[in-house]
Amino acid sequence: MSDIAVMDQVPDSQEVNAKAESPLFHIGAGINTHKDANSAGVLLQEDKLAGHLLIRGNRDDEAFNIAINNVLGTGLPKTLQCIYVDELSIRWVSPDEWLVICAGDKVYELEKRLRAAVQGHYAIVNVSGGQTLLVLSGDNVRDVLMKSTAYDVDDSNFPVGKVVTSTLAKSQAIICRRNEDVWELVIRRSFADYIWLWLEDASREFGLVVNSK
Amino acid sequence: MTQKNRLDVNKSANKSSGRINVNKPISFRYGGKPYAGYEGDTVASALLANGVDIIGRSFKYSRPRGIVAAGAEEPNAILQMGATEATQVPNVRATQQELFEGLECKATNGWPNEDFDLMSYVGKVGGNVMSPGFYYKTFMYPQSMWKTYEKVIRKAAGFGRSPQENDPDIYDHIHRHCDVLIVGAGPAGLAAAAAAAQTGARVIIADEQAEFGGSLLHSTELIDAEKVQVWVDKIVAQLNNAPNVVCLSRSTVNGYHDHNFLTIHERRTDHIADFIAEAPKKTIRQRMHRVRAKTVLLATGAHERPLVFGNNDVPGSMLASAVSTYIHRYAVVPGKSLVLMTTNDYAYQTAIDWFYTGRKVVAVVDARANPQGQRVHQARELGITVIAGSAVIDVSGNHRVSGVKVASIDKSGEKITGEIKPLVCDTIASSGGWSPAVHLSCHTGSKPVWDEKILGFVPGKTIQKQLTAGGINGCYRLKACLQEGYQRGCKAATDAGFQQMPQPSFNDVIDVDEEPAMALFHIPHTEPTSRAPKQFVDLQNDVTAAGIEMATREGFESIEHVKRYTALGFGTDQGKLGNINGMAITAKSLNKSIPETGTTIFRPNYTPITFGAIAGRHCGELFDPKRYTAMHQWHEKNGALFEDVGQWKRPWYFPKTGETMQQALDRECLATRKSVGILDASTLGKIDIQGKDAREFLGRVYTNAWAKLAVGKCRYGLMCGEDGMVFDDGVTSCLGENHFLMTTTTGGAARVLEWLELYHQTEWSDMEVYFNSVTDHWATATISGPNSRQLLAELTNDIDLDKDNFKFMDWCEGTVAGVPARVYRISFTGELSFEINVQANYGMFVWEKLIEHGEKFNITPYGTETMHILRAEKGFIIAGQDTDGSVHPYDLNMGWAVSANKTFSFIGKRGMAREDCVRPNRKQLVGLKTNDPKQVIPEGSQAVNDPNQPLPMDMQGHITSSYWSANLGHSIAMGYIKGGINRMGEKVYYPQADGSVIEAEICSTIFLDPKGERQNV
Repeated sequence: MSDIAVMDQVPDSQEVNAKAESPLFHIGAGINTHKDANSAGVLLQEDKLAGHLLIRGNRDDEAFNIAINNVLGTGLPKTLQCIYVDELSIRWVSPDEWLVICAGDKVYELEKRLRAAVQGHYAIVNVSGGQTLLVLSGDNVRDVLMKSTAYDVDDSNFPVGKVVTSTLAKSQAIICRRNEDVWELVIRRSFADYIWLWLEDASREFGLVVNSK
Repeated sequence: MTQKNRLDVNKSANKSSGRINVNKPISFRYGGKPYAGYEGDTVASALLANGVDIIGRSFKYSRPRGIVAAGAEEPNAILQMGATEATQVPNVRATQQELFEGLECKATNGWPNEDFDLMSYVGKVGGNVMSPGFYYKTFMYPQSMWKTYEKVIRKAAGFGRSPQENDPDIYDHIHRHCDVLIVGAGPAGLAAAAAAAQTGARVIIADEQAEFGGSLLHSTELIDAEKVQVWVDKIVAQLNNAPNVVCLSRSTVNGYHDHNFLTIHERRTDHIADFIAEAPKKTIRQRMHRVRAKTVLLATGAHERPLVFGNNDVPGSMLASAVSTYIHRYAVVPGKSLVLMTTNDYAYQTAIDWFYTGRKVVAVVDARANPQGQRVHQARELGITVIAGSAVIDVSGNHRVSGVKVASIDKSGEKITGEIKPLVCDTIASSGGWSPAVHLSCHTGSKPVWDEKILGFVPGKTIQKQLTAGGINGCYRLKACLQEGYQRGCKAATDAGFQQMPQPSFNDVIDVDEEPAMALFHIPHTEPTSRAPKQFVDLQNDVTAAGIEMATREGFESIEHVKRYTALGFGTDQGKLGNINGMAITAKSLNKSIPETGTTIFRPNYTPITFGAIAGRHCGELFDPKRYTAMHQWHEKNGALFEDVGQWKRPWYFPKTGETMQQALDRECLATRKSVGILDASTLGKIDIQGKDAREFLGRVYTNAWAKLAVGKCRYGLMCGEDGMVFDDGVTSCLGENHFLMTTTTGGAARVLEWLELYHQTEWSDMEVYFNSVTDHWATATISGPNSRQLLAELTNDIDLDKDNFKFMDWCEGTVAGVPARVYRISFTGELSFEINVQANYGMFVWEKLIEHGEKFNITPYGTETMHILRAEKGFIIAGQDTDGSVHPYDLNMGWAVSANKTFSFIGKRGMAREDCVRPNRKQLVGLKTNDPKQVIPEGSQAVNDPNQPLPMDMQGHITSSYWSANLGHSIAMGYIKGGINRMGEKVYYPQADGSVIEAEICSTIFLDPKGERQNV
């Protein structure tokens, strides 16, 4: 056995894979609390069954940065930044922690490539089952966020490309602003239902539409 | 009733209906009777227009009371509102509640009603009967009767009631951040906002009233040669159009907390309807804005201070400025004939305003000997009688003022010097000057300071980034207010980092010249205060000048004590009108100055707010997060009852139709030991540990040794605090040479991760190790029982399940039901067990496969309760149930889990070696077997050696875990007994609350399979 146990956690069988249940699989699509879906203030979509990989390491270690860069095709984002490249998004989480989100069936491959490239003291942890990505868009997303987090989500403090981990109601989320009116939340699996109920409630005055992917 | 006090707009001199809309009549009900008003009215202005004099009964003496003020400071007009039971709101000030069609309200005080009140007969004689401390002195004995007294007292005095049904409305919270928060949208606040907004700063301006303008809404002054209302409209339009400004009306800044965090209570539909039925989910009734501001500018203005004189509480006795407000803003003259008593020039405006309505001004009574100010001259020119050097010393009338007694007073305002002259009038307005509204500045602990020039307290030193402008500083003239507002608005923006210098929003203001006011608070009477007619200081709590003097005579010298003894300022109005007068009277009576007497500081909230607004959406389903596992829906479908473990919802047990709880548990326990049971163990905390120092780190945080744990092996560990006391436990598996998976208790997961991080970041930061939570990532299905191997064999073809190749405390990687899994052969039941971990998205699939294939083995799902019983049969502890932070591993008889031979120390090693931790006779965890096998000792029962010992008995310890064991056919228990490990076989007794005694024998905690043969098969 090696120093670190790495394992492909996704079944080979398509049939089995089809049975996978994301944290919010049960809310499904088609929820619409608004009479006119086009004018709903908030659109919500779960980016289901994606691959989530946590990278821990020393950002001042040049070799670490280069190795990561070689695999991801980009350097790790700076403090409070997130980067989107091709099929990947990379979020700064803490001074020694980054979250890479990729396609669910690519995560093992990516972990192996990273482990092959990086030397020294680091950690990589597959957390794909433990969290999920919510994509919120629409005119009133900022209002919903203001009702949910104490963090300042104004343009002046939260430009496109920024990411923070903060409170979300009585839980927490990695909050990321992808575009002018597209915000992403990474939330923990066990809290997903609570957060969904919270967001659904907070969105109600603006109208909410759930899309499926 | 007609609106007899409503001005005919076309006839009144200024041809203005103020801020009401006479084209929109509104009907409402007060005390069950219908009334009419107009859009723009408050309940108070509409009731005054209708000639309603009595609005409630006083708190202690049940005297009839009328409307005194026109805003937040109102002490009397407190309403119970709501058309239905569910929409009841207590504590609504009629002076702040806007009128809407169908509004239902009634007075909160008065039993059976405010017009005929039983308690008033007590009040009539109350002068001498109900002195300060009356309740303390009268109802103290016997103590047992207090509960009876209380009911009657509460019925007789109270300010409304809460609804008995669920509130159907939505209340929520919103977080806001800004550079400049301006509190108050009067002249200073608006001028400041106009300035700050120009700099580009993020500005929030909040005002409690329906519209911005503050005192300008009823002012007759001019800005830039136009009516002030024109300027207000212009500035408000500018602010509304500015993208960087948030304007919040009907929004009371009710709390100013540390770090410039403020709470604003916005009432969004309280002015529209009792309940908006169309879209209850979409309409937010009240919203709490939680604001973090870089700079706060308080422009909260000032409250007029009434004067304290005899019978000054008879309906028709009002604040001078309130009278002006009713005239100008609501086109209501609250009476026919006015006497105005003042200590200052400003209040003359009220007499002038009254004069122009066409009603009679009987006289202005000025306490100053020779007033000559500009407004005084104006009044005289209108033919208004000015009686100088005099005061109103008494009021006649019962349900309404019928006249006043006027007497000349000396220069210091301490004695009556002349004849008493009666005047006939139905309204007595008084003004003793102004008290800056310093409330918010006090909330963060800043003490206000007395300013002799303005005869009022102004904000004191603060550590907050706070500025003040206008009336709160004692700056009362319009021009000065605007200028100060402008300057502080600029400074607030500059302080927040904005450099641009804005233009003022006004050019030319002509102020009226005023002479100094007289420092007078308490009007003397011919009789000493104690014998004079009641002179009210705090109307809401019925505190009189005589009461305060008595308190000082009884030895209360600190203003804080005087307040508590007399209840001065303890009402829902926080003494906005009475406090300063009360302090002045205390000071006079103690022969001290007001600053020497000191002041009290106000606390949040500025005015009462609803619990709904405080709770926001954190109620019902959203009260607290509920955490679910990936298999939760299966548990629900299969009838599980749930138990809260931390925030997790864990299956408790799975009763079948008709089963009692005990029957279900017996079935689950027997099935598991006989064949196979299945448990959702996903909630256990799981921490992934990587790094070359991972193993060494484990050795330092666990009490036992980890140096030799091979890859593929698992080990149980105890975790202690520095004090040597156990706080968590769990199995940690060696996944790779530098890779471990730690499990923790369900409730302790976050704490353990923080504990590891704490030590890594502060003590051992050189160690190369990373910790990551993977609790939610892995779903865990535990199968337990003699048939578990056979069951697993059906679902895997790549795990060697041979007992010698996959031993107890080993783990393996492979697939289960086609899903990649890590399978741990660890056991919390003492049976052959496999904990199957899969990526959580596949948790449900694998669970259902196990159930499907387990059917032939009668697979039985069980919950936490059966888990507790099965582990107790084996004597396994639960950290948090069998430990309580006061026991070390040796107390648990788990010394085998402590390694004294580690090269580096471990956390708790020194702690558990302390003198007290090694003394004999410590309480130790033992098993307990009842004499009567059917008897289950209640958990928490206390042990004694001799049940017949007289009280107090020598306590030996208590029961921590106790169950009926269906497998053993008798009850089992674990508990603490002093020196218990060396007392095996001895008897102890557990006396119960009902007088019975349970006898038990001390035994080993391991009740079943002491050799561990069942798990090692």
